[in-house]
Amino acid sequence: MNEFKIKIREQSNVQIVDLKGYLDAHTAPEFEQTMQKLINEKKYNILVNCKNLSYISSAGLGVFMAYIEEIRKYKGDIKLANMPPKIYNVFDILGFPLIYEIYNNEEEALNKFLKKS
Amino acid sequence: MINIQKNLGKVLNLVFALTFFIIGLLIDIIGKNFETQPIYKDIFKILTFLFFYFYIKINWKRESVPLRRLIAILIMGVILITITLALSILSINFEFQEKSNNLIPVNFLTILISNFVTLIIGVSSLILLFAIKDIFYYKQKKHTARNFLILNLLLLATVISSINIDPLDSRLITNILFGLFIFSSFVFSFKMPWIVYLTKKDKVLTILFTFLVMISFSVLSLLYQNSTQIGKLILYSSPGIYNFTKEIFAFLIIYSAIAFLSTIFHLPTADAFDKKMSEISSLHNMSKLITQVLDFDELVSTVTKTTLEVCEAESSWLEINKTFLKSNNKYRNLEYDTNFYVISHLNISTQEIALINESLKTHLRDRIILDKKPIIIQDFKLERNQSLDKGVNNKVSSLIAVPLIARNEIFGVLYATKDIEYGFDQEDLDIASAFADQAAVAIENSKLIEKSIERERLVREMSLAQGMQQKLLPQRIPEIKSIEIEAFFSPAFEVGGDYYDFLMIDENNLAIVIGDVSGKGISAAFYMSEMKGIFQSLCKIFPSPKDFLVKANEVISGSIDKKSFISLVYATLNLETGKLRVARAGHCPIIHASENETKYVRPNGIGLGMGNSKLFKKFVDEIEIQISKNDVLVFYTDGIIEAHSKNGEEYGYTRLLETVRQNWQKSAIEIRDEIISSVNNHTNEEPPFDDITLIILKWFGK
Repeated sequence: MNEFKIKIREQSNVQIVDLKGYLDAHTAPEFEQTMQKLINEKKYNILVNCKNLSYISSAGLGVFMAYIEEIRKYKGDIKLANMPPKIYNVFDILGFPLIYEIYNNEEEALNKFLKKS
Repeated sequence: MINIQKNLGKVLNLVFALTFFIIGLLIDIIGKNFETQPIYKDIFKILTFLFFYFYIKINWKRESVPLRRLIAILIMGVILITITLALSILSINFEFQEKSNNLIPVNFLTILISNFVTLIIGVSSLILLFAIKDIFYYKQKKHTARNFLILNLLLLATVISSINIDPLDSRLITNILFGLFIFSSFVFSFKMPWIVYLTKKDKVLTILFTFLVMISFSVLSLLYQNSTQIGKLILYSSPGIYNFTKEIFAFLIIYSAIAFLSTIFHLPTADAFDKKMSEISSLHNMSKLITQVLDFDELVSTVTKTTLEVCEAESSWLEINKTFLKSNNKYRNLEYDTNFYVISHLNISTQEIALINESLKTHLRDRIILDKKPIIIQDFKLERNQSLDKGVNNKVSSLIAVPLIARNEIFGVLYATKDIEYGFDQEDLDIASAFADQAAVAIENSKLIEKSIERERLVREMSLAQGMQQKLLPQRIPEIKSIEIEAFFSPAFEVGGDYYDFLMIDENNLAIVIGDVSGKGISAAFYMSEMKGIFQSLCKIFPSPKDFLVKANEVISGSIDKKSFISLVYATLNLETGKLRVARAGHCPIIHASENETKYVRPNGIGLGMGNSKLFKKFVDEIEIQISKNDVLVFYTDGIIEAHSKNGEEYGYTRLLETVRQNWQKSAIEIRDEIISSVNNHTNEEPPFDDITLIILKWFGK
C-alpha cells in the first residue's frame, strides 16, 4: 500500500498542501485535521497539490467539501493543482471542476491567489 | 448441639477447677499444723490448674499480630506487679514458719492469701502461656508445633516432678527439667520471623515493649523468689505451680531479651526492608491491574500514583506518544504540535512540566529516545541552562525518567521528581523501570482490547448496514414487455453505499435511479433509505430528471453532513417513443450503445449535497436522447471503474466502453454476464474494494 503523507509549505501567504499516496476513509481524518488546523490559524488561502496523490475515495473528497464553505466565507479559497489524469477524472465525475478551481500546475494556481489579493 | 456441648465443657471445666481449688483450700486449712503435707494436696492443686488450662484453652481467641500479644503480656506483667506490690505494702499479717524444709502458716489468713495469690499467679501464667503460643505460632513452620510441644511437656514434667516435695526442698530431676526448659527457651527463641516483617515504626515499638516485658517479668521473678514471704505464698500452696510460674516468667524474660536484641539489629535495615515490601506489593498490585483494568484513564493514573508512592517522590507524570493514543476515541482530536502528550500528572501542572523541559539543554524525552535508557538527574540546578531558565519552581531538584517500551519502540516516558538533590538512588530507578515495564504491558493490553472492541462494533455495524442495504434494493425487477432489464449487485465489506431502483411513473414512463452514497456503515444506509423515500415519492411529482435532482438535493442537503454526498443518475425512458431524459448528479455517466456508436452520455452536474439549490440548479443539465430499437443502456457505479488488478491498475472507463461495444447486441442478461466476467478477468480474484452495481436495459421498441 501507498502510505498517505501530508506536507505543508508556505509561499507568498498561500498554504500549499502536498498530498501523497492513498486518501481514503482511513487517511481522510488526518487530512481533515490538517485543514482544521489551517483554519484555526486563520490561514484561508489553501492550495492543494495532488501531484503525488495516487487514489482518492469519496471520504477524501468529503474533506474538501467540509471546509470550502467556511473558507470562502472568510474570502479564502481551496484551489487544486497538478492532478494526475486518473485523479482528475474522479473529481470531474463528481462535478468538482464546477465548484473548485483546478489548475494544471502550482504556479497558475498561486498566481490566481496573488491576483485576487 | 455442638454449641451446648461446648458450653457444657466450658462450665464443667470451670466448675471442676473451682471445686478442686476449694478442696485444696480446705486441705490447707485442715492440715494447717501438719509437719508434712499429704500427697493428695499436690494432686488437687495441680488438678485445679489443669482444669483452668482446659477452660482457657476452650475460650482462647488466637491473635495473629505478635505486637498486640506483646502489649497484652506487658499489661499482664504490670497488673501482676501492682497486685504483688499492693500485697506487700498493705502490711497484711501473713507469715510462714520454716520447719526443716516445710512451711507452716502462722494463721488462717495466711492460708487464704496463699491460695488466692497462687490462683491469680497460676491462672495468669496459664494465660501467658497461651499468649506466648500465639507469638510463637506466627508464620508457623513444620517444627513450630513440635518446639512448642517440647516446651509444654517440659513444663508439665517440671510440675509433676514437684509432686510431694517439701516446699523448701528441691529434687535433682526438677532442677534438670528446669534447666532443660531454660535451654530450650533459648534455642527456640532465636526463631523470630515476625520481627523481620515489622515496619520500621513497629520495630521501634517492639524494642520498647520487649524491653518493658523483660523488666517487668524480671521484677516479678525477683518478687517471687523462694526466699521472700510472697514467694513462699505460692511455694506453700504448690511447689509445682510455683515452678511452673517461674518457668513462664523465665521464658518471657529470655524471649523478650532476645526479641529486644534482634529487633535492634534489624533496625538499621528497617527502612530498606519497608521499601522493598512496598515495592513488592505495588508491583503485585500493578500486575493485578494489568489483568483487571480495562479503563485506560484509570490505568495511567494508577501508574503515576504508584510511582509517586513507592519512590516517595514529590511529583510524577506520564507522557504517551500521540500516534499510540490515536486509536483511542477519546484522544482522537488531540492537537498535533508535539508527538507526546502528558496523559496523567500528579502534584505538577502541565505548564510546569513544559517549563522543566524548556530549561534543559536537551529535552528529557529526546535523550531517552536516543539512549533508550532511563535517566537520573541528581542535581537539577547543574543541568539547567541558565540562559533558558524561565524560573522553574524549586520543587524539582532531582529527577528520574524511564521509557515505556512496546515492540522495541519507546511510546511513553514515566517521570518522577523530588525537591531534594540526590533524592533518587539506583533502587528507585530500578523500581521505576519495573513499573514502566508493567505499565507498558498494561497500556498496550488496554489498547488492544479497545481496538478489538472497536473492531467488533464495526463488524456488527457493517453487517447491520449491509442487511439494510439489501432490503432497500428492489427485490424484483419489473417485468415489462417492451424492455429487458437486468441488474447485478455485489456488496463489499469495506466501503459501499450503492443504491438503485426502478419505478413506472405512469403507463409509459419508466424511471431508473442509480447512485452511490459516500461513507459507509449505518450512516450510509440511512442516507440510502432517505434516497429511496425521495425516489418513491418525488419521481411521480417531478417527471423531469433535472427537477427531480434539484428537489432531491434540497431534501438531502437538509439532512446530510458537510463531508458526505450522494452521486446519482436519474433517467426516465418513454417505453412508447424511446425518448430518454437523463440528468446526472456527480455519478458515473451512463453508456448508450446503438448501431451507430457506443458512447458515454454525460450531462453536467454535481453530487447531491455538494451545493445549495441555486448552485445545483446552475450546474445540473438534463439531456434528452432518442434511442432506437434494440439499443442498450448501461447504468453502473464506480465499483466497476475502480475494480483493480493485483498491480493496482483500474478497470477504467475505456475497458468498460469496449466491453459494451463488443457485446451490446446480445441479450441484457448476456451483456451483464460479459461485463462481470470481464471485470473479474481484470481483477483476477482481487477482493472487491467497493460495491459493484450494474444495470442493463435493452429496449425492443413498441
